[in-house]
Amino acid sequence: MATATYPPPPPFYRLYKDYIENPNSCPQPPPPIEGTYVCFGGNYTTDDVLPSLEEQGVRQLYPKGPNVDFKKELRSLNRELQLHILELADVLVERPSQYARRVEDISLIFKNLHHLLNSLRPHQARATLIHILELQIQRRKQAVEDIKRRREEAQKLLKESLGTLDGN
Amino acid sequence: MDIISQLQEQVNQVAAIAFNTFGSLQRDAPPVRLSPNYPEPPANPTEESANFAEQPKLMSAALVKAAKQFDALVAALPLSEGGEEAQLKRIAELQTENDAVGQELQRQLEAAEKELKQVQELFSQAADNCLNLKKPD
Repeated sequence: MATATYPPPPPFYRLYKDYIENPNSCPQPPPPIEGTYVCFGGNYTTDDVLPSLEEQGVRQLYPKGPNVDFKKELRSLNRELQLHILELADVLVERPSQYARRVEDISLIFKNLHHLLNSLRPHQARATLIHILELQIQRRKQAVEDIKRRREEAQKLLKESLGTLDGN
Repeated sequence: MDIISQLQEQVNQVAAIAFNTFGSLQRDAPPVRLSPNYPEPPANPTEESANFAEQPKLMSAALVKAAKQFDALVAALPLSEGGEEAQLKRIAELQTENDAVGQELQRQLEAAEKELKQVQELFSQAADNCLNLKKPD
């Protein structure tokens, strides 16, 4: 059973022979990549954004626009889903060969539902950030109060001890 | 689990119930008479036909319950009004307030540490004096 040999490590190590003596004689590491890059034949991007439904070739069922009323759209998509499931049941009873269109509709509704839920994530991230900042501000204020109180107690103790020492 | 993940799980649950419903009903349905030319299919009174009448009812009840659960979760979404700009504005406000409180904290901390050093210095001097005043006998 022949074992495959691993490829040799990249030959850059020779360039760093004098790193101990002179760190500047050796090449700098490459700067971080911005934008799109190709990795193992696949295209990747560093800009993490949720691709819109049109880019994935899926029809968008809820109205576009700057502010989507998420709760209303989620509820109406849920009702649509129920109706389509009922329609599928009817079609299977009466015209069983026409199931494909109905199944496509149902999967379209599911894709829209998931896309709506995914577009809620940035909002959730910002809300979490707000919550964390508020907690941190509260903790810091508490710490300031504690330090002030302790300093005053220490001053009081010192004054008392001064009084006791002077009394002697 | 956070509410959005719960919503996503619920959507997947509804999908699972739907395809399980249709799949098992199609698999287990008793044969039906297609045309008057062919004879009635032999009706085997196995235990399937007894339980089978309830399957659609139970499964559709589960489907409706899952959908209602989804609606309840949607109602529980804490969606604050104002959208993205209001959130970003609030974040900027909180950041400035955080910086101010942080600087105040830093000042108090430095003052307290200074006083601590002073007290420690005085204490060590007093202890040295005590030791020096004690006459060795």
